[in-house]
Amino acid sequence: MGVERLLRLWAMRATMNASQLLRSRGELLAWSVTSVIGNVGSITGTFLIAQRFDGIGRWSRSEILFMLGFAVLVNALLNALAGFNVGMVSRRIGRGQMDHTLLQPQPLWLSLMTEGFAPLEELGAITIGAGLIAIAARGAGVHASPAWVALLVLQVLSSLLILIAYQYAWGSVAFWTPRAAEEINTRTSSMTWSVANLPLDGVYGWLRVGLLTAIPTGFVAWLPCRALLGIEPAYPAALILTPAAAAVFAAIAILVFRKGLDHYVRTGSSRYSTFGHRR
Amino acid sequence: MSAPAPAATRPSGTAVELRGVWKRYRQRQRSERLGDVLRSLLRPRVISLEALRGVDLRVARGEILAYAGPNGAGKSTTIKLLCGLLAADQGEVRVLGLDPVRQRVACVGRIAAVFGQRTELWWDHPVAASFAWKRVVWNVPGDRYERSLAFVRELLELDLIWQTLARELSLGQRMRADLGLALVHDPELLLLDEPTLGLDVLAKQRMLGAIRDLNAERGVTVMITSHDMPDLEQLRARVVMLHRGDIAFDGSFDELRSTIGDRRRLFLETADTRPPELEGASLIGSEGSRHEYLFDATASPIPGLLAQAAAQTTLVDVETHRAPIDDVVAEVYQRLRGLPAPAQAADLNSQSCR
Repeated sequence: MGVERLLRLWAMRATMNASQLLRSRGELLAWSVTSVIGNVGSITGTFLIAQRFDGIGRWSRSEILFMLGFAVLVNALLNALAGFNVGMVSRRIGRGQMDHTLLQPQPLWLSLMTEGFAPLEELGAITIGAGLIAIAARGAGVHASPAWVALLVLQVLSSLLILIAYQYAWGSVAFWTPRAAEEINTRTSSMTWSVANLPLDGVYGWLRVGLLTAIPTGFVAWLPCRALLGIEPAYPAALILTPAAAAVFAAIAILVFRKGLDHYVRTGSSRYSTFGHRR
Repeated sequence: MSAPAPAATRPSGTAVELRGVWKRYRQRQRSERLGDVLRSLLRPRVISLEALRGVDLRVARGEILAYAGPNGAGKSTTIKLLCGLLAADQGEVRVLGLDPVRQRVACVGRIAAVFGQRTELWWDHPVAASFAWKRVVWNVPGDRYERSLAFVRELLELDLIWQTLARELSLGQRMRADLGLALVHDPELLLLDEPTLGLDVLAKQRMLGAIRDLNAERGVTVMITSHDMPDLEQLRARVVMLHRGDIAFDGSFDELRSTIGDRRRLFLETADTRPPELEGASLIGSEGSRHEYLFDATASPIPGLLAQAAAQTTLVDVETHRAPIDDVVAEVYQRLRGLPAPAQAADLNSQSCR
């Protein structure tokens, strides 16, 4: 049950993803265009503000672009890893479809980590995000040493983990109240992304704390990018803030999910959606 | 079949064992009246439903068990307990010697479950893709996979739908594909929850035939739930009937029939339209010179009835049929509920069920 198995499962899902996308030219075109429009559209507002005012607060135009690229990349990776409602887990739980996952002879985490893998759907967005990061890093005068690139990867993965953990912590409420949890989970997802593309330096301290805990939108791009770019007030510990927060959020999510799963196995699910079990 | 059957001899031992299993569900109750809604916020009214009440059941390896019962009897709950999707409140559940909840991964690797109203197929992919997915997730070795695949493709006639998207299959095709998918890892135990639900006659026949072949050729233990008793009877299986969470009957279909006597119907075609009066048989109706009777073949043997009829009139044609199993089951359930038996059968003697 190691890395080899994980990679094998991912490879199989990537093949299925490719076969689905390449089913017809229309399908391929629709996916590609939608992905580009959606991702570019999501960052346009912030970029135009930075362009008009030559940056936002302490952030230069290139630094803002870097943060936007970071957010696009994290969002794309989240969608690539947690498609088919693996990310919006309240739907799987609340629609009785966790049963299908429990019937697979492998640990639950492995099923959840691989079943939503759809990398090709997000290839365009991943390219846009990575491209923006590369261009903006050069513009911001960052020396992209191997150590810095390793830190960048660590920050991206930590942001990703925080988002998944946050979604799972709220999504697990569906083990107890399936209908309400679907609504809650949709709101928590949209709230997390609503100001993720903006630097939060100027907001009140208490609000900033809220945006790093109750709604961890500050971890999507702002805090990790501030640390990576060394934006004032810069301090070395900033680089481990996001990974440390990721560990805490993951621990909370695991705890809530396990409690919920115990409840599920005791009570079962009285709801079931017949519209394909991965929807 | 082209693929060699791996289990030529019947496996021995126990496939499924339930000992004193209880399962209760909690259900919130309230009306739509605003006052009741507000009251239930403060003091929710919750009732406890007993889905299973101390069920003891043993299924031998290589056996086909028809698990029957009316809606809410506890059939699906039992299947979920065996899959590890639910935990028993009390009692012990063992599947192939394993605890299906605590040893979930090991257990589900050796069993297969098909739910009639659910599909394991990937909706937007051809049937073939779901099989390829299963091979990887279930970690089925290449040679075993190829052998099994050849077997199920032939058994269930999957070739015609192999390249079809799952969402474009008819219900019958979807069920065949789902059953094939369930079998591709060579499960030792096959759990089928209402697999014939919604299928037309032909699709049902194929499905049931496949289940029989599978059991005969591979020795797979099969536990099948259905409302459709004639379907279950075709499997020539042991039948366990649940009633309100308890086992009400456990035996063969012949034994089930004998609980209400050897109920049969006799059709006589006579030379004139007057029906003969037969002692030990009730006249149900006449249509011209054709007369239908209900009788218990144990209490009133057929030769005696025919002799009576022949003494009164000239017989042109004679047919006898066993009572439809649905009638037998309906009467058993009526008795279990303490209701009078259906009118047609009320005048016949009967034995009691457990």
